[in-house]
Amino acid sequence: MASLGSALLLATFVVCSYAAVVSVVGARQRSRRLIESGIGAFHLITALMVAASAVMINAFLTGDFSIKYVVHNSDSVQPLFYKITSYWGGLDGSIMFWVFLLSVFGSLAVYVNRERHRELIPYVIATISVVQMFFLYLMVVHKNPFTTYLTNAPADGQGLNPLLQNVYMAIHPPSLYTGFVGMTIPFAFGIAALITGHLDDSWLRAVRRWTMFSWLFLSFGLTLGMIWAYEELGWGGYWAWDPVENAGLLPWFTATAFLHSVMVQERRSMLRVWNVTLVIVTFFLTIFGTFMTRSGVVQSVHAFGDDPILAKLFTGFMVAILVFSFSLVIWRLPLLKARNELDSWLSREAAFLLNNWILLFAALFVLFGTMFPTLSEAITGERLTVAGAFFNKWMAPVGLVLLLLTGVGPLLAWRRSTLKNLADQFLWPVVAGLAAGTLAMLFRIPLWSAGLCFALCGFVVGTITQEFWRGTRVRRKNTGTDFLTALVGLVGRNKRRYGGYIVHVGIVLIFFGFAGNARKLDEQVLLKVGQDAKIGRYTIKNNGIKVGDDGQKQMTTAYLTVSVDGKEIDHLYPARWAYRRHEQEPTTEVAIRRTPAEDLYAVLGGFDLADQSATLQLVVNPLVNWIWIGFGVMALGTGIALLPERSFAFAVSKLPAEAAAASTTVALLLILLVSGAAPVSAQPGMGGAEDTRSSYYARTPFEKQMQHEIVCTCGACGHQTLAECRKDNCSTSHQMRGELAAMIDQGKNHDEIIQAFMAKYGGEEMLGAPVDKGFNRLAWLFPYLIGAASAVVVGFVAVKWTRKMEPETANAAPIDAALDERIDDELRDLD
Amino acid sequence: MTHRYIKVGLTAAVLVLAFAGMLWSTLREGTEYYKNIDEVMANTAPWQGKQLQLHGYVVPNSIFVKKETLEYRFKVQNNPARSPEAGNVVDVTYKGIVPDTFKDEAEVVLKGKLSPEGFHTDPNGVMAKCPSKYEAQEKSASAGS
Repeated sequence: MASLGSALLLATFVVCSYAAVVSVVGARQRSRRLIESGIGAFHLITALMVAASAVMINAFLTGDFSIKYVVHNSDSVQPLFYKITSYWGGLDGSIMFWVFLLSVFGSLAVYVNRERHRELIPYVIATISVVQMFFLYLMVVHKNPFTTYLTNAPADGQGLNPLLQNVYMAIHPPSLYTGFVGMTIPFAFGIAALITGHLDDSWLRAVRRWTMFSWLFLSFGLTLGMIWAYEELGWGGYWAWDPVENAGLLPWFTATAFLHSVMVQERRSMLRVWNVTLVIVTFFLTIFGTFMTRSGVVQSVHAFGDDPILAKLFTGFMVAILVFSFSLVIWRLPLLKARNELDSWLSREAAFLLNNWILLFAALFVLFGTMFPTLSEAITGERLTVAGAFFNKWMAPVGLVLLLLTGVGPLLAWRRSTLKNLADQFLWPVVAGLAAGTLAMLFRIPLWSAGLCFALCGFVVGTITQEFWRGTRVRRKNTGTDFLTALVGLVGRNKRRYGGYIVHVGIVLIFFGFAGNARKLDEQVLLKVGQDAKIGRYTIKNNGIKVGDDGQKQMTTAYLTVSVDGKEIDHLYPARWAYRRHEQEPTTEVAIRRTPAEDLYAVLGGFDLADQSATLQLVVNPLVNWIWIGFGVMALGTGIALLPERSFAFAVSKLPAEAAAASTTVALLLILLVSGAAPVSAQPGMGGAEDTRSSYYARTPFEKQMQHEIVCTCGACGHQTLAECRKDNCSTSHQMRGELAAMIDQGKNHDEIIQAFMAKYGGEEMLGAPVDKGFNRLAWLFPYLIGAASAVVVGFVAVKWTRKMEPETANAAPIDAALDERIDDELRDLD
Repeated sequence: MTHRYIKVGLTAAVLVLAFAGMLWSTLREGTEYYKNIDEVMANTAPWQGKQLQLHGYVVPNSIFVKKETLEYRFKVQNNPARSPEAGNVVDVTYKGIVPDTFKDEAEVVLKGKLSPEGFHTDPNGVMAKCPSKYEAQEKSASAGS
């Protein structure tokens, strides 16, 4: 199998070079046949990479321990899910996964744009193929994931690093890679546009969506990384300015800048050189980020270790990218001339420009800080490092200015704002900002920087609300529909603009969460059994320590109770898990009590079984959950901006008669949405009168949770939980499950049931360690998923209905959109 | 037109200067020297009181914890444990939770300040790499991004 994998990689490399050469030759000779052949070869690359990935995953699933990569990153006892994710768990596989993603995206992009941008396609293929060739070359000559042992292969693998055996870690890298790899597509189109000289705005239209899509995944990857750091690494925070985190942030900054400045080019034909540059720089930074984390240039806890050969290869590739791309830009400068000049600094394009400069500054600064140890060593010979505090000191003001611009930009008119409309536009947002600031003062939050952050959050929310409010009013006047339809129609008319505003709401929420850091509490205590400690308003008591084992790992769990004002409110079970074969590197399993206002966060730092004492790190993290919620809102906004043209057609109709039908539609859709989400909120504890089941499988999440919390007392199963002990027809566990089901039917709550079981079976022995939380933790995602799913369904239904009812609306939409926007802008100027 | 260029040039110069000044002042407080123990112990005087990141290896059987507290006392040497010569050794104090990988022979980086009595580690200032066996031989990747 391994030799098949290597052969596939080699074949892909050959096909890549063929695709690159034949496309360029075809384009130059205008030979339809050669170009078609290039496209065919390009899709063949994807097929080959799919096959190679299948071979790799197969090797993991079957446990082919003759392959070194499989030995290093998996073992035979690992759950199926992690066997698959081991594919990208190490360096070699992650490079292969990169090529795989790039080939899939490339094929998709070429397929979608094959008609519209026919003249660009050959060069797009050539560019992507060359990038793929580089990575394939790395694999073939240096880091072949299919390398085998020459003699006696080990019988079993070393297992995936325990820190990576985590749901977030399983989806974080692919998400981040999707973002990284996706940025190659805009770059390829940019290069193709430069080479062919088709530098009108059409190539931008082709890449706008791709950039947005990649940006979304980059954001998602960064957020997941933060959640992972927060829940898995157990130091109480989520962002430490670690080089690997920074590597993901750099292209995020420049991509964000591009998504803004592209609007200026579309609207005013300015910043054309700038946009091409941003596309190139973003791509360069994705490669640079990969280089940084994989070559050992910077030290990091997450990095993949030293590799000087890899570093040299990467450096060569990066220099080539820069020289080639910027030579092209310089060559095409005459075609990239701006058609307009900046009229006034009080204009929206000026705000965009400023936003771009600051984002670029942020990227350069983070780059500088990340490379500082390496730079200082190279220049002075002394290795100097910068601490997180240094980044915070600089990035806090940068972030606040960006937040301010988020609120200011939409309030300014294109070209030039007059004083009169400034006053009119800024009045309410400023009032909102001042109100939020005052509120923060009342809570005694320091003005710098949290207080200011709250005030700016209020200001931006004010701006966005005002935008939606005024837009909806204008639309109602024009179409005579009800408020809701007008609102939906408004968003539908200009999805990018209003989707963007929703993204801004998400950003505000994220900043709101960041500001909570000002009130963070962090303490380390040593508690003997029965002792308690205070942090903030909470009192935490140690009830003892238990050890359990589930076959894959040994789990040591501290049982803590949390009380406020003498009243017990919750239990926390921070734990340490030692995985087989990784006993030397136990993982900390953080226990978190989440509320919208603050998280109580407990880490078991150490323990002594003899006297049941626990060393705990206790952290109170105010508002931290708003960061994750903010990302959800951001994803929603991006989703709206990415929706296809027709999905809103029902609401953008103009005639009152249609509108009446439309508002019914909206009502229906809302019902659909609500009912879609309803099952999630259904609470456990529903009673079933008759119970004649032969085995008590959990009917509700609550019952499932209880089955996992209580241990079977039969003595034969080695303290499995009630949920697990069913294999050998154990009558004890069956009986206990029955008792549990009966108590749940009687409507007893968690504590009552525990009490009853403890009374009957004695002691705390029957209390299992809290469940392996993996998937349960993701439960909060389900409302979002169901919401998103129903949104998709709604979208399809909407498209279907509109097509049947009035097929001509879709055609009329573009003209109307332009008109509407003009009215909107003029109203802003006149109002 | 030249007038305009002068204005732009002056603004740019002021901005660059302000930026450089701010960068310099924050860098002076924000940076830490990353040093091996031998480099510091050869001549301790210039390093006293400076913010340091000290790299070394935990001396075997040197870790002591004061009973029922989180106060640690241990020794760190310049060269890896079991190498023929230990190199310079520093006494270290620390209060707080240590990482899982902190143990005898572990490679550590300590953030803190040097004083005549020894090295005082900042809260959360202990970073340790595990003395893993296979990684040393294979130099393979073990952590993901």
